[in-house]
Amino acid sequence: MKIPLRHSMMSRSSARLFRPARHICSSSGAKRALGTSIPKAATPATSPSPSPPTNPEGGEARPRRPLTKEEREFLSSALRVNQAGELAATLIYTAQTPLVTRSDPHLKPLMKHMYDQEVGHFDTFNSLIAKHRVRPTAMYPLWSVLSAGLGWGTAMMGREAAMACTEAVETEIGDHYNGQIRSLLEMADRMERGGGGMGPELKELVGTLRRIRDEELEHLDHAVEHDAKKAEPHWLLTGFIRLGCKGAIYASERV
Amino acid sequence: MHPPTPSSGALRRLGTQRWTTAAKTSRQCAAIHMTTRATVPSTKQTLPSHAVRAAVAAPSSPTLPTVTQTAQRRTFHSTDHPPPPGPFGATESALLAAAYQHVPEHGFSSAALAFGARDAGFPDISTSVLPDGEFGLIRWHLELRKAELAGRAEEMFVGEGKGKEYKIPEKIEMLIWERLTGNKEVIGQWQQALAIMASPTNVPVSIKHLAELADEIVYLSGDKAVDPSWYSSRAGVSAIYASTELFMTSDKSEGFTDTRQFLRRRMEEARGVKGALGNVGQWVGFSAMGALNVARSWGVRV
Ligand SMILES: [Fe+2]
Ligand SMILES: [Fe+2]
Repeated sequence: MKIPLRHSMMSRSSARLFRPARHICSSSGAKRALGTSIPKAATPATSPSPSPPTNPEGGEARPRRPLTKEEREFLSSALRVNQAGELAATLIYTAQTPLVTRSDPHLKPLMKHMYDQEVGHFDTFNSLIAKHRVRPTAMYPLWSVLSAGLGWGTAMMGREAAMACTEAVETEIGDHYNGQIRSLLEMADRMERGGGGMGPELKELVGTLRRIRDEELEHLDHAVEHDAKKAEPHWLLTGFIRLGCKGAIYASERV
Repeated sequence: MHPPTPSSGALRRLGTQRWTTAAKTSRQCAAIHMTTRATVPSTKQTLPSHAVRAAVAAPSSPTLPTVTQTAQRRTFHSTDHPPPPGPFGATESALLAAAYQHVPEHGFSSAALAFGARDAGFPDISTSVLPDGEFGLIRWHLELRKAELAGRAEEMFVGEGKGKEYKIPEKIEMLIWERLTGNKEVIGQWQQALAIMASPTNVPVSIKHLAELADEIVYLSGDKAVDPSWYSSRAGVSAIYASTELFMTSDKSEGFTDTRQFLRRRMEEARGVKGALGNVGQWVGFSAMGALNVARSWGVRV
């Protein structure tokens, strides 16, 4: 990973503003570790094992319970916001790619790779939304306009800004997916203790979210490798975009 | 109101408070009983024994159609966790299923409810456990007819993939007609029912029912669009269904052929260029990417 040369020339105040961003840049590995270490931490060592052999009555597993209203609402808004986020990601890359690859043709394979992964994510959530009969976000047209505008705008500012956009977005998205994984693991834990356990489709969802989270964090690494930190002014750009992501996540979970 | 109605105002005044709480508890008992096969809990002695009997017996009653297990599919539909409890408790279900048999004759009225209570073996006062009276009976009709659609869809579209192909709007039209057919038996009472549904306190629930029906119809039609056409298709189906349903209440033609034609015309309008169902399956409305792509195809370096 390249260290920006300008770093040493920075004033104290901008260095302070820079610090959170540096932390982000070095934290993608930590995030991955955090997300996957949660299950063990969240499972109390004392929790009674519901495994069939210890069950006195013939080893019959108890039936799965219905999802509670809260659980269904959590899952609906999680799928809704994820679909919106992946829609935005595909549009950001679609808008950025022609501009970025014109000035830096060697980035063509990377941009295509990241775009293809985003399309995969988007397809995944589209089919999950249809399968589970979740309402897509009503902000869909607005997110389309804003994300295409964001991709286009940052790419117009140059490769560094385009990469800073990816860095900011993926930082938020990585956190966001980690939060969902955590909630799902807690849900799984509650269901295990209740006896019936969690159905395969929800277990699979945890795996899907982990895989997508890892891919997003790879995008973050790619962005930093390709000079995201050299964007000027980096702190303003990433701060602004991350704030925008937070707002969009908040709204899409609800509307 | 109706001479044969076994109504008793005195009893009603006497027991309302206790009955409401008792019914709630018995509903819980029944729910527990159904799911875990536990014995009826010790709250039994506080309940009138016939209420417990009826509540427990109700779900297994084979003759009357019931909606107890109709899930509210609007939030998150799981395929491997059982559906959440339906909109009606066991006592309520038993009472409403029995009362529903009297609707063609007595309308969605307290008379029908009273007859139903008598048939189901409840004392007359038990109609007071229904929080919304006649509207509850209307909701029963709405839930029951909506719940039937999935099974009917399977029968109607059975030929699909074996030489027979339906377009999504065709299937939507078939499903709307199928659902309207479910109003035939009560069509003489339906204008009055619509008036009850449109009263201010009931409007939110009535709209929710319409939205759920539209969602069910679009889902059963196989439309898997999850872009903004998700909204336009459901709004279109709601509007077409509601207007056709109203038309049907004053249709005197043989076999409701006028209603059938009315529905056909509404569907054709909707399928037009600007119609709600014009783009079922894909979103071709304004998109920023569309604008950017147009500019790029013109050679603008953006
Ligand atoms: Fe993604
Ligand atoms: Fe990404």
